[in-house]
Amino acid sequence: MGRFSAMGEDEQIKRLLKLISLNDDQSAYKQLFVLLYHRLKQFAYSILKSNEEAEELVSDVFVRIWDKRAQLISVESPRLYLYTITKNLAFTRISRQRKQINITSEEWFVQLDSIYFDPEQLVITEEILRQIRKAVNDLPPRCKLIFKLIKEDGLKYKEVAELLQLSIKTVEAQMAIALRRIGKCMHFEIKSTPFQVSSKKS
Amino acid sequence: MNQENFWILLSKKLANEASISELKELEELIHENPDWQYAIQNIEDLWRHKAPNDDMQTLDAYMLHLQRMKDLHISFGEAADEVSVIGHGRRKVRWYWAAAAVTVLAGLFLFLRPGSKSDVSEKPLAREVNEITTRPGSKSKVELPDGSIVWLNAGSKLTYNKDYGQTLREVTLSGEGYFDVMKMKEKPFIIHTSSINIKVLGTVFNVKAYPEDKHTETSLIRGSIEVTIKKRPNDKIILSPNEKLVVENSGIVESEKNIPKENTGSLPISTLMSVNKLKYNAADSTVAETEWIKNKLVFRDESFGDLAMRMERWYDVEIEITDTELKEEHLNGTFDEETIIQAMDALKEFVSFHYEQKGKKIIINR
Repeated sequence: MGRFSAMGEDEQIKRLLKLISLNDDQSAYKQLFVLLYHRLKQFAYSILKSNEEAEELVSDVFVRIWDKRAQLISVESPRLYLYTITKNLAFTRISRQRKQINITSEEWFVQLDSIYFDPEQLVITEEILRQIRKAVNDLPPRCKLIFKLIKEDGLKYKEVAELLQLSIKTVEAQMAIALRRIGKCMHFEIKSTPFQVSSKKS
Repeated sequence: MNQENFWILLSKKLANEASISELKELEELIHENPDWQYAIQNIEDLWRHKAPNDDMQTLDAYMLHLQRMKDLHISFGEAADEVSVIGHGRRKVRWYWAAAAVTVLAGLFLFLRPGSKSDVSEKPLAREVNEITTRPGSKSKVELPDGSIVWLNAGSKLTYNKDYGQTLREVTLSGEGYFDVMKMKEKPFIIHTSSINIKVLGTVFNVKAYPEDKHTETSLIRGSIEVTIKKRPNDKIILSPNEKLVVENSGIVESEKNIPKENTGSLPISTLMSVNKLKYNAADSTVAETEWIKNKLVFRDESFGDLAMRMERWYDVEIEITDTELKEEHLNGTFDEETIIQAMDALKEFVSFHYEQKGKKIIINR
């Protein structure tokens, strides 16, 4: 099963939600689960920091979807809706555990390897790839989460901004930081004037 | 220009967020700096490769999720299940694969070659044995280093060496396992049990090889496998999909049939084994042999004696049937969420018997 481009996937999720909402369609429900399970689990993990809890939480999210299926038809931005439910349920769970309501976004924790680079498909060397993985892994937590949500999960800037309660400008800037660090691993650095560029080929 | 701006533009382009004017601006920048091409191309390639979905893991999670919905009494119309022996008094028995008690033992054995210490090129041969065991009453799912998946039924043991996958993929099984083997033509997958060896290229099948059972059973769901019976190493049995090979476990056969030991070697192969067709349930096209991985204990035309042995492992109890005729009663049914007591009470309605429970032991009388 291949991934879908950002636009197509949004429409696909909308279609599935509609089928679930109007027809109690179980096969659409399963498809939605299969499509999003991994990503929602990783997102839940970034809050809960436990695999087991993240798995159970995604199950809670889908319980909620089934319970409230009558309302799904009116969802405008389906991905944002699903990620927001995930976030809210995770925060509820964590505040119950810690008796603490606020969690700062600096506490976001993105799992190692949840951002994916396939070495076989790339022309760069293993060493550079290793450096890129390290650079991405060393990004500040919020920056890494934003990068993961946009690159791996296919969310729009606007959706990420709303989900994490940030401005779009912040999302843009964080994305630029992440990419610049990746470029640096390839010895690709842009100096302040466009005429001084070092681009070593390895 | 400010370098921040370049990265903002590039990330917007990759994320499909850039407006036409922004794309144009970026294009012009790149056009002016052709030596950027290579690095930008690499970054774009990196961006496009998304993690593949682990479908197997996701489907397992879906199965658990449906189970949870059931536990929470959320109605989610289910496909017609096989008629269960018990229709009443269900108690919630939560059961998660992830939580199933698994003991992973990794023993490290070092074999140092004498006299090779000075030779730098000869490294000491490290032999690590991985052992996965499930206790009676629990099950587990194991992913082997090559990505092959094994579901282990209760009271089973799977071992493999650290060098698994280097030239061969060899495992030893005692108990019951459902195998989903990754296809690797050059590296055959071999399973050793006490009475048979199975050679596989890439397929799905179930092996039931409990040393205390009368038979070792191999049920092939997909693909093709080659089985050799240890006592008859020259005969190879090729199984086709939907076939089940039943091999008598020698120790037990000998003692039960009173065959003198020295004669077993010359027994015709047909008395050692039989090949049967797997029977699909008409209602939901499931095969009884593999239903345990869905946490169902399914028995079809099974003697009470054999069923009792499976229930011992399933429920982690000891069952003694004092009456020999009772052992030969044949039964059909499914247990999924029933406790051992509920299961016993249900069976009582089909075969008349009395039972008493003393701790983990259940004694069944006529």
